[in-house]
Amino acid sequence: MTIIFQNLTKNFKNVVAVRDFNLTIEDGEIMGLLGPNGAGKTTLILTMATVYHPSRGTVLVNGSDVKRAPTLVRSMIGIAFQDPRFDRLLSVHEVLDWHAKITGVAKGVRASRVEDVMRRLGLWEVRKRRTWALSGGMKKRVEDSKVFIQRPPVAVFDEPTAYLDLQTRLLVWDMIKEMKEEGRTIILATNMMDEAEKLSDRVTIMNLGRLVALGTPSQLRHNVKGGEVIEVKPSDSFKIDLEALRMLPNVEDMSVSDGTLKLFVTEGRKALPIILEKLSEQGIGVESIYLKEASLEDVFLQYAGSKLTS
Amino acid sequence: MATTAQNLLQDKAIHRLLVTLVARDLRVLVKAPWIIVSRGLAFVVQIFVFAVLMSRLVDVPGFDFFTYYALGTVLVTVASVAFLTGYDVYEENETGMLDYLLSLPLSRRGYVMARSVGGALRSLVYVTPLFAIVAFLRGFFNPIDIAVSYVMIFLLATGITGLSISVALSVRNQDRFDVSLALLELFFIRFSTALYPQAFMPLAAGMIAPFSPVTMTSDAVRAILGHGTIDLLGVAGLLAFVISMLALGAAIYLRKIEGGYFD
Repeated sequence: MTIIFQNLTKNFKNVVAVRDFNLTIEDGEIMGLLGPNGAGKTTLILTMATVYHPSRGTVLVNGSDVKRAPTLVRSMIGIAFQDPRFDRLLSVHEVLDWHAKITGVAKGVRASRVEDVMRRLGLWEVRKRRTWALSGGMKKRVEDSKVFIQRPPVAVFDEPTAYLDLQTRLLVWDMIKEMKEEGRTIILATNMMDEAEKLSDRVTIMNLGRLVALGTPSQLRHNVKGGEVIEVKPSDSFKIDLEALRMLPNVEDMSVSDGTLKLFVTEGRKALPIILEKLSEQGIGVESIYLKEASLEDVFLQYAGSKLTS
Repeated sequence: MATTAQNLLQDKAIHRLLVTLVARDLRVLVKAPWIIVSRGLAFVVQIFVFAVLMSRLVDVPGFDFFTYYALGTVLVTVASVAFLTGYDVYEENETGMLDYLLSLPLSRRGYVMARSVGGALRSLVYVTPLFAIVAFLRGFFNPIDIAVSYVMIFLLATGITGLSISVALSVRNQDRFDVSLALLELFFIRFSTALYPQAFMPLAAGMIAPFSPVTMTSDAVRAILGHGTIDLLGVAGLLAFVISMLALGAAIYLRKIEGGYFD
């Protein structure tokens, strides 16, 4: 199902959480949604899910307008929230069975699907345990399970692997890929770069409520000035003459964050010794230095001017 | 024909969703039996200590204060339990659970209706054993009278649940919310004729009491069980209360929640 955000703006009193947002998510696509906390990702998702009403503009889900046909839109969407949302007093099985019922999973397949997902995600042994007694990771598995059981045409995962161990993380990735193979449209809101790169067909980067970059992970990486990154951990970042480094050949752009210097360069192998020499001239020691291809983290840094933080 | 069949199927699906949502409220209640037990004990103390004591103190010929007080206590319990839904919704709003519930495939009106009915049914489940005790002690065995009384009690609980949901969604501060519900409970319960006849009340409370839905319900239930008569004015007032509270709840959901909130 295609999702179209048309000039979407969402205000909360004087705070503009999402502004003039335009985006088309294609049928059957996994769209990664990246942005720091407060970028507007959750507001965007909840507006699409009709929990919030758009202040301006609208969202069309499979052609249905969230303002005109909210109940129909809701029937097409399933959300695995960042923080688990279910009744604390109920058991794991009760939570998932209730979610399956309320979202219209057919009676004939409900029990088997609930059992299958619980077994795959390691919840079967704790199915009778009340959810308040579960660990953070187990609660997250229950939250993800809701959407895997529901199998909606539009599936939204908000930080689906937060708090999960590596093995379960890989399993959740596989299950998301299976949903894509079934033709479902998936929105993946995440702060984990590797997750976005491995799963997403395209990635949207948001900052301060705006769309700041859109493309495939590869396209976005190539958009980074220079295409390569030299990451330097100097002994004292305060003493560096940044302007002198900026003037060097091959250096296209640079940023300093958490005491680490990032130089976006062309022909990194040539640039590396020149940069080291320049730092040496300035009397700056180097604790570590890496030459690498630009990552989505670097893309984000370039567009938003700050690091992504979980 | 096809459209009618489709509509029927859709209606069936909506009913199924509403029933599922109502069942959630009931299941949460069953999962917390200590609440039922504690409220039940409070009720038993109310009728076997206070009601007995008060009926000995109030000596008016032709007036059975024990029955009056015991039935009033059932109504007070219903009202108190119905108000609990407001606390649930407030907590759901605070914890983000409401976002999940509002993302489910239900209309907002359907959602308010289901929550109100769920809260009301929960109240009925609470008071059924208590009501049975009173009915047994006072010989209320006419099934029609009991059924009509139940309908009245259900209407009261539905209206109060709708009101408490409205307050929960309108007030964004915990202290203000607690005070608001406490004041409403004061008006609905203490300024009503549930526990004391209007003639025994202070003047100010006596002037307010007729407007309390708890008064309307308790007077109507006593009329049905005691004399087999229906207090039409009370029923009309109660219906007006329920309809206005459900409409208010739905309007607040539509405007407040779909309009968005932000902390």
